[in-house]
Amino acid sequence: MMAMTGAILESVLSAALAADPAGGMAGAEHAASQSSGGALMALIPLLPLFGAVLVGVLACFNEKSKMPAYVTVGLLAASFVLTLITYLGWDGHSVMQIRLWDWIGLSWGDGVGQSLDAGFAFYLDGLSLLWMLFVTGLATLIGLYASEYMEHDVGLGYCRFFGAFCLFVFSMSCLVMGDNLLMLFLGWEGVGLCSYLLIGYYYKKKSAVDAGMKAFIVNRIGDLGLLIGTLLTFTTFGSLEFTQLFSTIEAGHSAAGVPLGDTWQVWAIPLLFMAGAFGKSAQLFFYVWLPDAMEGPTPVSALIHAATMVTAGVYLVARMMPLFVADTHLIALTVVTWGGAITAFWAATIAMAQYDIKRIMGYSTISQLGYMFAGLGVLATTGGVYHVFTHAFFKATLFLSCGAVMHGFAGQLDLRKLSGLWKVPGFKIVSIAMLIGCLNLAGFPFTAGFFSKDMIIAEAFVTPDSMIPGSSWAGWLMLLTAGLTAYYTFRVFFRVFVGPTEFYPGDDHHGDDDHGDEDHASTFHPHGPGWAMNFVLIALAGGSVLAAGLYFMGDHHGWAGGMVHASSAQFDPAQIGGHAGGSSAEQADIEHGTVFGFDPHKAMYYISAVVGFIGIGAAWWLHLAGRTQAATSRMESVAAKFGPIPSWAEHKWYVDEFYDFLIVTPLRLISNLFFWFDRLVIDGIVELFGGTPKMGSETIGNATQTGVLHDYALRMIAGTAAVLVVVVLVLY
Amino acid sequence: MDASTLETTIHPLLLYVACAIGALGVVIAMPRKGVSSAIIGGVLAASAAGMVILGLLFTRGTDDHAPNLFFHAFAILALGGALRMITHPKPVYSALYFILTIIASSGLYLLLSAEFMAFALIIIYAGAILITYLFVIMLATQAPDEGDEDALSGYDALAREPVAAAAAGFVLLALLTTMMFRGTGALPVHPGLNGSDAILSQLPGKVEDSLLSSLRKEGLMESAEGFARDGETGRLVIDSAQRRIQIAGDGEERFIVVPEEMWPEYLVGTNVEGLGLNLLGEHPMTIEIAGIILLMAMLGATVLARKQVDIEEEAKARQQRRLAVEGQR
Amino acid sequence: MIDLISGTFSLAQAGYPEAMAASTLNQYLFVSAAMFALGLIGFMTRRNLILMFLCTELMFQAAGLSMIAFGRYHMNFDGQTFVIFVLTIAAAEAAMALALVVLLFRKRESLDADLWAELKG
Repeated sequence: MMAMTGAILESVLSAALAADPAGGMAGAEHAASQSSGGALMALIPLLPLFGAVLVGVLACFNEKSKMPAYVTVGLLAASFVLTLITYLGWDGHSVMQIRLWDWIGLSWGDGVGQSLDAGFAFYLDGLSLLWMLFVTGLATLIGLYASEYMEHDVGLGYCRFFGAFCLFVFSMSCLVMGDNLLMLFLGWEGVGLCSYLLIGYYYKKKSAVDAGMKAFIVNRIGDLGLLIGTLLTFTTFGSLEFTQLFSTIEAGHSAAGVPLGDTWQVWAIPLLFMAGAFGKSAQLFFYVWLPDAMEGPTPVSALIHAATMVTAGVYLVARMMPLFVADTHLIALTVVTWGGAITAFWAATIAMAQYDIKRIMGYSTISQLGYMFAGLGVLATTGGVYHVFTHAFFKATLFLSCGAVMHGFAGQLDLRKLSGLWKVPGFKIVSIAMLIGCLNLAGFPFTAGFFSKDMIIAEAFVTPDSMIPGSSWAGWLMLLTAGLTAYYTFRVFFRVFVGPTEFYPGDDHHGDDDHGDEDHASTFHPHGPGWAMNFVLIALAGGSVLAAGLYFMGDHHGWAGGMVHASSAQFDPAQIGGHAGGSSAEQADIEHGTVFGFDPHKAMYYISAVVGFIGIGAAWWLHLAGRTQAATSRMESVAAKFGPIPSWAEHKWYVDEFYDFLIVTPLRLISNLFFWFDRLVIDGIVELFGGTPKMGSETIGNATQTGVLHDYALRMIAGTAAVLVVVVLVLY
Repeated sequence: MDASTLETTIHPLLLYVACAIGALGVVIAMPRKGVSSAIIGGVLAASAAGMVILGLLFTRGTDDHAPNLFFHAFAILALGGALRMITHPKPVYSALYFILTIIASSGLYLLLSAEFMAFALIIIYAGAILITYLFVIMLATQAPDEGDEDALSGYDALAREPVAAAAAGFVLLALLTTMMFRGTGALPVHPGLNGSDAILSQLPGKVEDSLLSSLRKEGLMESAEGFARDGETGRLVIDSAQRRIQIAGDGEERFIVVPEEMWPEYLVGTNVEGLGLNLLGEHPMTIEIAGIILLMAMLGATVLARKQVDIEEEAKARQQRRLAVEGQR
Repeated sequence: MIDLISGTFSLAQAGYPEAMAASTLNQYLFVSAAMFALGLIGFMTRRNLILMFLCTELMFQAAGLSMIAFGRYHMNFDGQTFVIFVLTIAAAEAAMALALVVLLFRKRESLDADLWAELKG
């Protein structure tokens, strides 16, 4: 049935679009050839959408089996296969476009910015293809994982989960494959919505509901930046379509003919886009939603808050790179660099002091996203994008391992209550996957994480300070953060998976654990993950390992570099502010930075390895050596020497409380004010309108309607007399 | 004909002041707790009425005849009786004063040449309607408590809002009179059936009975002749002042003058005859309807009288007490 | 001067002797209006149900007087004819009213009109 539906869809689409080739012109940097992508390309986002509808239909029929999961995984796998086919059929340098229908077509004048033509169209170049490959692949695997992870919720909850899951993939595809900024915005909002729905999946828990709202609201603040940026783009460049935008930017002037260097929009628009990206990707001031988002089910954390949605900000900056580099002073890129670096360091410090393993992974995600942004900021687009790719794999592995632990230990997540799990029967695969993930995250030599992180840190030193002020300081900060990352990652591993075996179950009872609370710990039997979860863990761990190999493929600094080169994120280093630098292979007479006189790329191999070993060693000494129980280790005595600082770090440097004081409380006061104004004044006025006739009639009525005949007669006569007085004496 | 303004009929200020004084008088005369001086009130009201009538008299035109003494007497009687009727505390006295008013009204009707109506008023109103009222008053009076037989029930002893009622009533009176006096000057006369001759001409039987045989005996009329009838209306042509009658016979018509000694005194068109001719000649349908209304009233009264009424609890208790009181006496 | 004795006065006259002056008509109308006003005041003042109806009869009287006066003024018999009908109606109304008053009296053993105030409010 699936194949038949797919065939019908394909024939309908190709029939409808046979005569409609893609429009627009590619930029001068890429090859000028166009090819219409065909109906296959359009099916990639539409299959998940169809899946969402199908799951919705199943929900209407109160489906109680795992059918929604099978539907989802099947359709997502089909989508991944189509992506693969499209990639294999791609010639490596052209842009594929397809336009499904005319979404918005308005024209109200002939000047610049007076006609808006945005179609529901898709645009695939190297950047989008890279993103789509890992999005669809990870979505398929994590969907499979979730089919077992969520099995306790079969019924309406299951359908709800997978419906939102499919909708999320569709929105992410729109975002990444969109042909114009409006499609990107559509996907942007869609992923925000699905993230909210899935974080608040356990809607009976107040903390989950609050986390969902917090995520949505903080995202919204960033979205304002994106929206204003989009509008400004439209008024400055006259169009929202990427092909037209890029050609206008290439030509070096706005749509009205003003040279870009003379406009204020050339630095304002990138800053606004950056605000949107930071909001979605939890950087700088906006990171507070991501740790709370760990209230959602683990597959959600793995897919949305590690691999896909949070990388949408990185995608935005990468996609709009021509605009970012059009500014001769590179103001926005500087802010991006420093924002990323500072966030990376800040999040790492908080992660060092947390006890909830999922929270640690959440902060780790924020930290690694900071790396990606910093990479983009120091013009290492390849590094940033490659780090996105590798991070997706190993972070998903890490999250899913934590999920397996949660699943098996009834929701226990505190690393003070778990120890030595690799000896527990059924958890071998989980432990190995976790180890591989931790090695990648810590940047152990020859892992994928090592290569991708090094590209970024090295480029931070390569890029001269004249282009990005303080880039070398950012590099040292990122190096320090790398050490901290290694430390906290292996803190988790050494506490939870090695050492003396000791475990306490958590609070999620699932049917068969209905003993009393006293003997709970003694009669609790953890169950290892089933075949689906194990299979996915193996696949993802293997993917993380294999991703290292991509560093050596292709001729533009790895396979990722090749993809970036074939996209709009490619730029000519010679055209940036008159200076050179970047990931292009061409090196002209440029002045680029060094590390103590050595070439940064080579030096980084050794320096970051050493830093990583120091971190791992510190973790081993503090958390494994001499540890006899799960609850404490040598860390406690060492931490006591630092006074109150560790406890501040454990409380996340009181940032949430600060935001509460600065923003939430005043807003609450104002809304209460408005609430009471509405209740008293406005409702009062309305009730006055209703109440006045009532009061009037009651007063008059009670006084005049006595029921006594004489009173009525008197009033009748008096009234007649009065009327006659008026008539006789006045009118005549 | 007078001009249609108020000022030529009566001075307006006089009229309104008289109304005010009359109102005051009525209020004083109303029954209330303690002493009510009906006499003073009556005097005030009478003086007010007199002022108006005198005012009307003083401003009449030069060739108007004043109404005579009897009019004033009957008018004072009527108004005085009406005033006493509405201010007397005891209901039976009120009814009797109403009868006095009716008699005075009947006198006024006589002055207005409506003899039949005058006596019909007395027979029907005073003789039937008012007697019924008196019966019901006596039926529906509660027996007073022992030892206080002359006490009035509360609702009779106290007038209800006399000031407001008098004010409203007299304002209305002032307005009515203002409007009437303004209008009557311009009122044209619509002569209808009037004059004895007009009536007599419609009563050929009466005329023939009184004159025909004597005229034939005297030889003023031939035996073949009769009184001429008008072709369309069938009326005689007769002139009482000159005693001329038109005779018709054998196709020729002539007038004869009847000698004075042969003209009987009773040959005049009376009020009753005229009224009868008008009633049945011009308003036949109204008589039928009036009859139906009377029939309905009779049926309604019969139905109502048969209705069983449940006496309310307090009323029952009061009745028990009353019967006990009477049983003890 | 006022001519009191020799006014238009003769009993049992034949038809209408001569026209009536407007000022005379005014006097009769004033009497009628005054009687009507007195009946109105009595209706509004007395609390006894039967006396209230009696005052309405007084108002009928006043109307009848004015009708006769106008009939005399216009030298018409229509006025008197209608007074007959007014009398008829007054009689019918008196019969119904008294029957109802008797029933009301039986219910509450009192003729007070203020007791029947159930349409209050």
